[in-house]
Amino acid sequence: MKTASQSSTWAIIGASGFIGLRALEGLHDRDGIAVRPVVRAASSLAVLARRRLDWRIAGPRDLASLTGALRGCSVCIHAALGDPLQIEQMATVAYQACAAAGVRRLVWLSSASVHGQNPAPGTDESSPIHDRHLLAYNNAKVRAEHRLEKLSADGRVEVARLRPGVVFGPRSRWITDTAADLRAGRAGWLDEGRGVCNSIHVDNLVHAIRLAATVPAAAGHAFVVGDAESVIWRDFLLPVATHLGLSANDFAIAAPAALVAERETPFAALTRSRLYQNLGEHVPDRAKRLVKSLASAWPAPALAPGAWRLPRSSSNAPRLTLEHTLLQRCAWKLPHAKAARILGYTPPVPFAEGLAASLAWLDFAEGPR
Amino acid sequence: MRAASPVTLVLVGCGAVSRLFYQPALLELRRHGLVNILAVVDPRAEARAPLAVALGAAACTKLDEALELRPELVVIATPPALHRAQAEAAFAAGGAVLCEKPLAASATDADAMAAAAARTGRLLAAGHYKRFMPAHRALKTLIERETFGPLLDATLVEGGKFSWPAATDSFFQREQTPGGVLLDIGVHVLDLLRWWLGDPTNYTYADDALDGLEANARLDATFASGASVRLRLSRDWRTENVYVFRFARATVHSRVNASNQLEFTLDGLPMTLAAELREPLPGRPAPPTRALDTNPQAFIAQLVDVCAAIRENRAPFVPGIEGAQALRWVEACYARRTTLPIH
Ligand SMILES: NC(=O)c1ccc[n+]([C@@H]2O[C@H](COP(=O)([O-])OP(=O)(O)OC[C@H]3O[C@@H](n4cnc5c(N)ncnc54)[C@H](OP(=O)(O)O)[C@@H]3O)[C@@H](O)[C@H]2O)c1
Repeated sequence: MKTASQSSTWAIIGASGFIGLRALEGLHDRDGIAVRPVVRAASSLAVLARRRLDWRIAGPRDLASLTGALRGCSVCIHAALGDPLQIEQMATVAYQACAAAGVRRLVWLSSASVHGQNPAPGTDESSPIHDRHLLAYNNAKVRAEHRLEKLSADGRVEVARLRPGVVFGPRSRWITDTAADLRAGRAGWLDEGRGVCNSIHVDNLVHAIRLAATVPAAAGHAFVVGDAESVIWRDFLLPVATHLGLSANDFAIAAPAALVAERETPFAALTRSRLYQNLGEHVPDRAKRLVKSLASAWPAPALAPGAWRLPRSSSNAPRLTLEHTLLQRCAWKLPHAKAARILGYTPPVPFAEGLAASLAWLDFAEGPR
Repeated sequence: MRAASPVTLVLVGCGAVSRLFYQPALLELRRHGLVNILAVVDPRAEARAPLAVALGAAACTKLDEALELRPELVVIATPPALHRAQAEAAFAAGGAVLCEKPLAASATDADAMAAAAARTGRLLAAGHYKRFMPAHRALKTLIERETFGPLLDATLVEGGKFSWPAATDSFFQREQTPGGVLLDIGVHVLDLLRWWLGDPTNYTYADDALDGLEANARLDATFASGASVRLRLSRDWRTENVYVFRFARATVHSRVNASNQLEFTLDGLPMTLAAELREPLPGRPAPPTRALDTNPQAFIAQLVDVCAAIRENRAPFVPGIEGAQALRWVEACYARRTTLPIH
């Protein structure tokens, strides 16, 4: 039997993304819930358009258009991503738009990274979170949660926050980037992948989203959610390699990144400037993306000359990103006991099954090798 | 003198293809005195005005206003559902038509356009500009002359995460655009396959549309020569974006939109030759020759061909009927579609 909220419309902001699309498929195709995808541009509809859906185009930081897009919905799932500053702004705009549109509950996709990629043993939702992480993304997610807590004090919208870790499944970067690195001969791991991987298969996350949207007691809470199994990185990385016909030997002992706070890129510095901030929504997203791509295309400082190297020899061991370095040093499986207790969350998809399905998708998407 | 005078034209539809392709191409043609751009047409002022300014042309809300200027050529770059009526209006006003792909919203409409062109004695060209790419012309020659022996099979993969800056969602609505990735990028490929190999003798087709438009499509076809072709299209996920042709004595890779490049792996040669296609060298000592057309130059080449066909009173290189036939194959695929799994 459907609950009251299941018989009304659920909006999904960022429905074209990895998690948003999967949530849409699960809720619409499996549960028969009326969903309304909300995307930032017409070009984001390419995959969503496989189904005939009542979509809306609205920027997740444009209060007026987002409010219009959410009207008539009882639940709003927020699965859009942006740069750190945008993430914070999105939280405020999402809450205000939900309030103005009469949305009852906002399910906010936060992240386990509010606890850091390498949380101290014993960490759970009761552990205080701070915004002094090395990664700007983590800090943005923390500030976004703080904003939502503050805003929801007015009681106009119920907010449930989900904190997934490494979300994997079809279209997940954890799958595709790993495969691409392996194919390019630049895959690496720390300590042969013995660090804890706080994984969650995307369908387990969608299950948690469903619960966070409907369980009355979820309001006002943050929930860590994960897979049932205790997974280490090796359990995740090695099957991808095996699937590609490779082995543990194809992971180099990687050089960890230096543990220093991320430096602002020229673009981030620009976007933090007062001038750019004042331009706000007047600068079309397309123009902003262009500035961003130009900024990222700025030439890197000259590398040591490579002319006198043997062809195909790589100069160094692969260097892990700061995010991967922290993730692979993790020694703590974040517990989802609170989600189990309040939401009744038990992950339906076993890790191995989720990984096999993700690899089947990889074959489908990337074709015969 | 009339023969050398610029072809007068109007551009109908001021969306992304007009902005990104027709605007620079037409400016270049005008620079060479080949065209005189009379007007642009679009109901949306915000789309129409900048293009009119950029092209120094009148801005019209309706096609009828522009047709009063008596253009010799009407370039149609509007949603497919509008192509037929606009082409018929252009013919009635005495103009020739170059129409963007897909030629129409249905093969029936496309046939009607071709019939209207024949009835009125006007020229109709289909915007399958990829036939103008030197790599594709080279492949046609290799297939027909069997330079490396007969073509055994080909694997074509094309597409990636959708990034075309569509101005509205009409592109994703069945009522306005009756197909997904097969109609969008696939119609070019099906046109090329027909051009290279003729009509297929047999084929199967599958896609992942539910009650909307497909994002992934697969076609397996065989042709009279015995060659088999596998085609994979996606606007969901990145692909290798390459066409691979296995001939009896060589394999040729053609990267999507690498208009003047091919990679040859010749039997017995333990290496691959990645080649830029250039004007032919004479069989004697000579300096390197000029590279052949790039992707934008191939697009311009189609416009040049249509203008020349108008002046020379001949058929264009890609007549409208070819666009109708590619579209008929697309429709036939949809008619026999099976479903791809949704992962
Ligand atoms: N993936 C993970 O492992 C993971 C883990 C923990 C938490 N999360 C959280 O889950 C949420 C969804 O993540 P995801 O992995 O599904 O991300 P994703 O695949 O990158 O999707 C992001 C969505 O946001 C939209 N978007 C991206 N940049 C935007 C911008 N600047 N302005 C407006 N919209 C923008 C995208 O639209 P287009 O399609 O138009 O680009 C897309 O719909 C995020 O809040 C993320 O922090 C993810």
